[in-house]
Amino acid sequence: MIAISLSSLPQRVGPILTIIVGVTCAVGALVSMLAMGAGARRQEMADVRDDRVIITGLDAQGAMSAIPLNEAAVVGDLPQIRRDAAGRPIVVMESISLLYGRERGTGASLAMALFGVTPNVTEYRPEMRFTVGRMFRPGLHELVASNSCVRQFSDFDLGARPSIEGDRWTVVGHFDLGPLNQCVIYADVRTIMADFSRSAYSSIEVMLRSPADFAAFRASISANPALHLDAELQRTVVMRNYRQLNAILDYASYFVGAIMAIGGMLGAMNSLYAIVDSRGRELATLRALGFGPVPVMVSTLFDSMLLALPGAVLGAALAWVFFNGLSATPFGYAFRLAVTPALALLGVVWALAMGFIGGLPPALRAVRVSVVSSLGAMES
Amino acid sequence: MKFLPLIWSSLLRKRGRTLLIFLQVTVAFALFGLLQGVKTAVDHAIAATRADLLIVHGRLSFNNALPIGLLQQIKSVPGVKEVIPVSLLAAEYQNPTQKMGMAAVRPDSGWQSAFTFVIPPADAAAFRSTRTGILVTSDLEKKYGWKSGDQIPLVLNVERRDGSNTWTFQVVGTFKDTDLGAAPARTLINYDYLNEGRYAGKDTVQHFNVRVADPKTAAAVSKAIDARFTNSPNETRSESLRLLAQMSFKSIGDFEFLVRAIVMAVFTSLLFATATMMIQSVRERRREIAVLKTVGFTNGMVFALTLAEAVLICTAAAACGLGLATLAIPHTLPRFHVSMPAIVIAVGLASAVLVALCSAAVPAILATRLAVAPALSGRK
Repeated sequence: MIAISLSSLPQRVGPILTIIVGVTCAVGALVSMLAMGAGARRQEMADVRDDRVIITGLDAQGAMSAIPLNEAAVVGDLPQIRRDAAGRPIVVMESISLLYGRERGTGASLAMALFGVTPNVTEYRPEMRFTVGRMFRPGLHELVASNSCVRQFSDFDLGARPSIEGDRWTVVGHFDLGPLNQCVIYADVRTIMADFSRSAYSSIEVMLRSPADFAAFRASISANPALHLDAELQRTVVMRNYRQLNAILDYASYFVGAIMAIGGMLGAMNSLYAIVDSRGRELATLRALGFGPVPVMVSTLFDSMLLALPGAVLGAALAWVFFNGLSATPFGYAFRLAVTPALALLGVVWALAMGFIGGLPPALRAVRVSVVSSLGAMES
Repeated sequence: MKFLPLIWSSLLRKRGRTLLIFLQVTVAFALFGLLQGVKTAVDHAIAATRADLLIVHGRLSFNNALPIGLLQQIKSVPGVKEVIPVSLLAAEYQNPTQKMGMAAVRPDSGWQSAFTFVIPPADAAAFRSTRTGILVTSDLEKKYGWKSGDQIPLVLNVERRDGSNTWTFQVVGTFKDTDLGAAPARTLINYDYLNEGRYAGKDTVQHFNVRVADPKTAAAVSKAIDARFTNSPNETRSESLRLLAQMSFKSIGDFEFLVRAIVMAVFTSLLFATATMMIQSVRERRREIAVLKTVGFTNGMVFALTLAEAVLICTAAAACGLGLATLAIPHTLPRFHVSMPAIVIAVGLASAVLVALCSAAVPAILATRLAVAPALSGRK
């Protein structure tokens, strides 16, 4: 049956091309758009480690609030925290403020977070590598910026002296953060707290001895009645922060992908109807020979899905050629699109489904071809 | 026009195929209309925002308090026409689930020109003369059944001198905000009433609305205002409404390359599908075309008829698709009021004609080259 199907294909170039082009476009569009979601997730998780914990304060109602200094001091004594080479617990106090930078090229003024941190942030983030300059000195008005900031904005060159709330700060170092390509700016937390008259931290970041210590760590924090804190894995916090962005990207991808798939299926249906019609005499002969309706139907469906495959491969390949590694910045979040093997596989499955659904009505038509009239009819 | 029945009958020859092509073109143009329509609508909306309105707020964030005394200094900057102080608050009516936004403004003479509000003149006059007056959006009026003259208590996030958070207002009318992205549940109150009664934060505002005399000078005036306060304890940042709109849409605009690629993919697959259908159709109707030629139709007329067939089905289906997109667009960006721009419909229909002409060109030529005698006798 399969050999017979395949042998008749070369005569039907037009309809076949239509199916392949339709599937290519539909799969290409789906995979390209999903590459956005994949790329975004890859960037979001780039610096996530399962031994990193973020602690925030809770107020009386359980909502997020600031962490008082006395509570923060207690955290450092917990045994599950990893210690650095000097034996000190890796606990980073954070106070977050806002900063404006002028974008290179457009000159537009964009807001970004200024993280006031304790200098041991370099222990918490061992992937932090200074490319020029040095870390800020505690107590001074010094900033360090990641190289992403330097690339995107014009205010953070080495030696620049941006003004924040009437004070002049100096940029003393640039660093890379491994695979993370986001703009991160650090300053000394005590300077920030003094400048903004704050008496509590925004959050605390802690590195555990091992991921397995998290449960015990969390239990110690909740059990202590003097602490009103919530400890969460960095992974949990990151996933929650980006849930909306990921949802929007996925929704848009599947929406556009579904519409294009419907278009592709309609085209496939049309082409297959044409193929079935032109094979009328051939199918009738098969029926006359004794092939039952099911093999005929299966043969048509098989044709349809077989034709969808090259479209899938071509579509995924084109998506990879044109969109893999492309930079995008939807909603202010910068990442590179990632056409992954998983997405290519999804594209193939999507195409096979298109071939199946699109081929079903013509397959039913193939079965209902009347043997006598087909065999007796003149080629019209 | 007299050939319409002829074209119609040839389309109906294979109803199934015509229907499928119709649906495919409809789907393709629905997608095109949606993507291109949203993009163009957003571009138009941004271009329509007022370039002569600036928001002058604290440099560090939109919520930093500025002293109201800055007003005179801002007004003295050349090019500035109106400066109105604005405080932003949150209000609740009856219980915490019924929230609304609130802006406290000082209705100095000519104040309305510094805002994007539309207020009935009687209501605006009542607002100026009633200290406790409050203007509400019609959404709120309908929701809570307020009428002019009603005394309503609202819980504000600003404490009164007597310690309570409940302030009483008198409804004096409604207003409408024509700004892009204006929230539907908002109110306006008098700044003086708020300032006199508040416990803390006296004589401060969140920002100033500034109207400049000439929209073209907006960028220069912004810089001049900010320059006046540089190195002072109250550094400002001034942005025109148009710049703010551009910035908030900038990241969505990143999708342009993707939209272009998808639209191209859609039209490519469409071109193939329609071309295949037309070629098939002409091939099947050789005898009929031969009859037409015998009866006296010239080659040119046969050519035109074939093209007309394609154009008819493509434009009709495109119109349907664009119609669907027009219905869908207002629901895509719920926070913003966007609708299908007329130019996109025009371009869509023109593209439909173009696709039809391109796909029918080859079959039309084949139809003209048809040899009459062999076709009539049934030989290939």
